[in-house]
Amino acid sequence: MSNEVEETMKRIQSHKGVVGTIVVNSEGIPIKTTLDNTTTVQYAGLISSLADKARSVVRDLDPSNDLTFLRIRSKKHEIMVAPDKEFILIVVQNPTD
Amino acid sequence: MPSNKVARAPKIGRKTTKVSEAVDELEEWRKGKQLLKPKDQLELSEAELKEIIAKQLSTTNAQSPDNLVEFSYAQGAFMSMPPPGNTVVVYETIGTALHKDTEEAKFQLLEQGIDPSTYGVSDDEEEEEAKPEPPQKPAEGEAEGEAAEQDDENKEEEADDDVSRVEKPDDEGEGEGEGDAEPETKVETSKAPPKGGKPRKLTNQFNFCERAALTYNNPTRSQETQTVPPPMATFSANVLQWVIYDGYQKDFEAQQLEKELERERKEKEKAPVSKHQPQRKTPGRSQLSEAVQGRVLECWRVLERMINQNTYDDIAKDYRYWDDPSDEFREDEGTLLPLWKFTYDRTKKNTITDLEWNPYYYDLFAVCFGFLDFMKPTPEGAVCMFTLKNPSFPDYICMTESGVMCVDTHPRYPYMVVVGLYDGSVQVFNVYANCKEPAFRSNNVTNKHKGIIWEVKWAPDLPDGELNFFSVAADGKINNWVLMQNELSVTTIITLYLDKETVPGPDGTQLRVKGCASCVKLHPKNPLIYLVGTEEGQIYKCSTAYSSMFLLTYNAHQMPIARIDFNKYNTDIFISCSGDWRIKIWEDNRLEPLFVFDVGDRVGDVKWAPYSSTVFAAVTTEGKVYVFDLNVNKYKPICVQAIVSKRRNKLTRLSFNPKLPILIVGDDKGCVTTLKLSPNLRIPCKAPKKQQHLDQWTLQCMKLDKLLSLVREPVNLTLPEDTAESEDS
Repeated sequence: MSNEVEETMKRIQSHKGVVGTIVVNSEGIPIKTTLDNTTTVQYAGLISSLADKARSVVRDLDPSNDLTFLRIRSKKHEIMVAPDKEFILIVVQNPTD
Repeated sequence: MPSNKVARAPKIGRKTTKVSEAVDELEEWRKGKQLLKPKDQLELSEAELKEIIAKQLSTTNAQSPDNLVEFSYAQGAFMSMPPPGNTVVVYETIGTALHKDTEEAKFQLLEQGIDPSTYGVSDDEEEEEAKPEPPQKPAEGEAEGEAAEQDDENKEEEADDDVSRVEKPDDEGEGEGEGDAEPETKVETSKAPPKGGKPRKLTNQFNFCERAALTYNNPTRSQETQTVPPPMATFSANVLQWVIYDGYQKDFEAQQLEKELERERKEKEKAPVSKHQPQRKTPGRSQLSEAVQGRVLECWRVLERMINQNTYDDIAKDYRYWDDPSDEFREDEGTLLPLWKFTYDRTKKNTITDLEWNPYYYDLFAVCFGFLDFMKPTPEGAVCMFTLKNPSFPDYICMTESGVMCVDTHPRYPYMVVVGLYDGSVQVFNVYANCKEPAFRSNNVTNKHKGIIWEVKWAPDLPDGELNFFSVAADGKINNWVLMQNELSVTTIITLYLDKETVPGPDGTQLRVKGCASCVKLHPKNPLIYLVGTEEGQIYKCSTAYSSMFLLTYNAHQMPIARIDFNKYNTDIFISCSGDWRIKIWEDNRLEPLFVFDVGDRVGDVKWAPYSSTVFAAVTTEGKVYVFDLNVNKYKPICVQAIVSKRRNKLTRLSFNPKLPILIVGDDKGCVTTLKLSPNLRIPCKAPKKQQHLDQWTLQCMKLDKLLSLVREPVNLTLPEDTAESEDS
């Protein structure tokens, strides 16, 4: 299973326009990254707090609902976030490439 | 005592005058004691002073009300009350003195050890002793100016009081204001009781005595200690609606668990000798991490789809919204718009041997990677399941050691996939559980076809619910495989013996020539009937009930038949295609085809469209896709489009999406191309004005029937009636 995960991650990194991928654990510490150190830390910290907030919003509107994915489209990038209890996956893509 | 006052008022007036005279004579020592006059005292003349102001006091109270009334609730009226008395109580006190003749006093005396009879006598004596004094006392104190009559009055008064005075010294207060000699008598009277030689002093009638003691006071001392302060922590939290919801949810689960445990305990008590309870497995660390890994993979997959959505944004929009606008101006012609291309790196050298849309997930399709160029076999094959949402990588990959020639997905269990291999074995994958190893596989030596398996098809489930499928192979056998507990059991349904002379075998035995089945199609409505196409070009209509004979034989083609497909709307109509460049449309029980089309190259696949009864599509090795609509044109295709380059690639298979206007075609380089059908290729039926209520299905059937009635040749031709003759008669 972990082998498959590894492969998928590698494949995603090779996709067109993908700037970087980050895996963040439940404590908000990046455990796997393809970006440089400072960017990774910045992304991990900001995105995990944003994901928490977003989940809170979704749950507050309807407690039986839950956040599954989060996409942030910016002028330069698209940040795709898969938040989970145990981890957060972040992919930064430049879709206009 | 109003009477007293009356008497005294004039007396005081006299007294003052007399006193002023007497002071000068007898009490000079008192001179310093001048009377102080208030400043505002009226200066009165002698005459005025001497004037006697008579004040009359009457026994009646002038102020007392005489007509008091009270409301009586009983009578419901005001009732007059009796007038209040004239007595006004100014002061009242209850004395403690006892008359000596009373029983109580006697008893008290006895208590003190005095004989009451003698006590009275001695008292009298004392009184005798004391008596002379009291008269003296006022005489001493008031002799100076008191009138004789006054003295008499005093005497009388005091004589009256004497008895009480012995026991009640308090009364002396009255006397004090009058005279100075009183302390002497007081001393005497207070000393009198001890004279009687009383053994015990009577404190009071209740024999009460009070005794007080003072204990030492403990010295006070203060001491201070300080404990270690309890640990402090700052805690802050937001309480939101969902936090509360989660709390309740947790509590509810705990309650459910509690109930469950309770029930289990009860059950245990009920049946103490029951079999061993299965231990509730708590997920271990490894299992948990496995679950997390699964979720991670799931998330990565979704992210990959998102990335692909961004990458192929334009294609996705075309797929969704683009309809060729030029179709409006073209009569009877349509186009195909290429969308995504699907490839998998490991199978780029393989030929696509079969394509099939998933019956459950409309965006998922299975692709078989095998080979058709038998001079250059590839070492491995695969079944890949792609989704339109991820064109870059297959969702499921099942690798096999031999080329995969055909696939079928179970209509009710969309994760059960059966594949037929080049080496004659069949495998069943449960892609949901495990893609790497097949759930079932036929035995490689004993339990297999002795030729290429050209087609596999799931059959309707057996009455016991066991899954089973048919396979047709080049060895001329059609087998039925049943998925047992952990193995495949096989029965040969039919062996396709050709209707030819037997040929001598190498050892002299006579062998019957067998046909090589190349495709099979189960009848969609009658589960017993199926059609088999052979490499010899025949189509056999068979029934599973008879294993030695064919219901019908169509001499359909001159070359191997590649595909047979039943019409979706009329199951009596089926289509076949072959390597002899021809596509033929047949009706059941009619040995001649209804339509024949020549497309100028080997036809790899032909399929009826799911959305129309008259539309079908075919692919040729030339790399072209042909789309026919019999309703529009009975002789020519309405669309011919080259999808791949003629020189390098060949198209092998195609499949219509059952829901979307999409067609997938496979080529011999392991590439699947998605094509969107333009509006002209999928014109819905328009209901006639008189039959607006009919639904699309009926309309499609009617359309086909109408078309067929034109091309059907009647079995027995009958001469039409000579209309001229009838007119004559």
